[in-house]
Amino acid sequence: MTDVSSEQELLEFLYACPVGLIECNAAGEIGLMNPHAMQHLLPLAGARDASNLFSAFEQHAPELRSMAATFEPATGKICDGHRIFVELGLGRQGLTPKVLACTLVKLGPDRLMATLADISQQVVQENRLRQADTWFATLLDDAQGYAALTITPKGEIASANSCFLRQTGHAPADVTGHNLADVLSTDVPGDDMRLDEQLVIAGREGWHLQEGWQRRADGERYWCQRLVVARSSADSLKPRRFSVVLRDVPRREAATADLRRLLTCDHLTGAANRRHFSQMMAKAQGRWRDLREPLSLIALDLDHFKAVNDSHGHSAGDTLLCRVTEVCTALLPPSGIFARLGGEEFGVLLPRHRLEQAMALAEQLRAEIATVAVETSGGVLQVTASLGCATLEEADGSIDALIALADKRLYAAKRAGRNQVFDIRSDVA
Amino acid sequence: MSERERDALPFGVVGFAADTTVQTYNATEARLSGLDPATVVGVPFFEVVAQCMNNFMVAQRFEDEAELDDIVPYVLTLRMRPTKVRLRLLATAGILRRYVLIER
Repeated sequence: MTDVSSEQELLEFLYACPVGLIECNAAGEIGLMNPHAMQHLLPLAGARDASNLFSAFEQHAPELRSMAATFEPATGKICDGHRIFVELGLGRQGLTPKVLACTLVKLGPDRLMATLADISQQVVQENRLRQADTWFATLLDDAQGYAALTITPKGEIASANSCFLRQTGHAPADVTGHNLADVLSTDVPGDDMRLDEQLVIAGREGWHLQEGWQRRADGERYWCQRLVVARSSADSLKPRRFSVVLRDVPRREAATADLRRLLTCDHLTGAANRRHFSQMMAKAQGRWRDLREPLSLIALDLDHFKAVNDSHGHSAGDTLLCRVTEVCTALLPPSGIFARLGGEEFGVLLPRHRLEQAMALAEQLRAEIATVAVETSGGVLQVTASLGCATLEEADGSIDALIALADKRLYAAKRAGRNQVFDIRSDVA
Repeated sequence: MSERERDALPFGVVGFAADTTVQTYNATEARLSGLDPATVVGVPFFEVVAQCMNNFMVAQRFEDEAELDDIVPYVLTLRMRPTKVRLRLLATAGILRRYVLIER
């Protein structure tokens, strides 16, 4: 075999390789990459620099830069199959949202190797499997330890089995006739359904299953699967009774707080990441659809942030991003989610918030961000933010349209001079 | 235009059928990409040869637009190096062959 033909072969191999391969330096400047990698990178980079790995991913995976920067060993795997959620909504024309898996390996002090693969289909399948798994586990797992109740459509307990006492500490005789929601005293973090909300869905779809924390009569917290099933009734469209099954289960996510944090949080700031935000948004959309529960979104972008990075360096910029996240999360209601969506771009998801409430919070966020000051060698660094609010109602229930509308208002706030919340009353467009 | 004239052009010329199978691949493009035209012709262009154009910015446009004559700035990976180029996308209704012209 001659040299020419082996080079040709190698080129053909790399051109046709169905996985993205990238080699870059520590700053992300790409030296070598194959076409498959560019196919993913170029549409993401947009106006940004497609020849720098970190710049190209600034909007979709800003954590890559800080993950590489904080990786201390001289060589080794920085991340393995790190998931990058490319689209926040349901994607173009309702197609599968695109998810990329990125593996980053450090080969030397100034040499990184990355692979990119499209795992969108795999993620869809995983979600489907997880749902089926939870459902089957509920049916098939050890038949001990079910607390079974019958309740009326209003949530009143008609009967409860003896296991209910063992599990919750409440004697069936004492609770019959009471409202189950009062007895359960569920901890409701943002994304859990209240019992009455579950009843609405079970009434329509036949059943609804969720996992979450519950409290026993003595106050102890336990992880609980709660299945609500509508019982059929012969003469009416409305079910007369619901069966409720409570199971005391080990937390399936087995998630130590660390793992959970790793999966849901932005590496640098600790704000929620795009992946988590996207999931929570889909959940909230379901509740808007099923229960007509209001949902608002605030889009937030720091003003002139590129200049901060350019003149004070990325590390000062990073500190500023962390401080902004700190002050903003402190202002958030319990069910709110503050997420870093891109370089200096944040999103605030506000379930059960109407537009006025979201606007009021946005104004608080704006004022608080303006007070943040970071000491640097080059003086005190300050920043302002522009914000836009929108509700899912205004977007006719479409997440893509919701994001687009909040973004549009955010940019209107920028055009109107920055450091402000877009005033909805002046929206004539 | 003869094959010789096409090879002498200062920019890359790729002609392909509606099913994206490459029909012509001129010498300039062969030199830039390092690929022998003999191994490229007859192969699906966007799937095998130019995966980096297999997105909504290039391949999708040939799908969507019957009439196409547009110049777009782009970054290719010629010999695996990110290379800034200008692409001219050409398609005419009624003519089966489409073209991508590539200028460095």
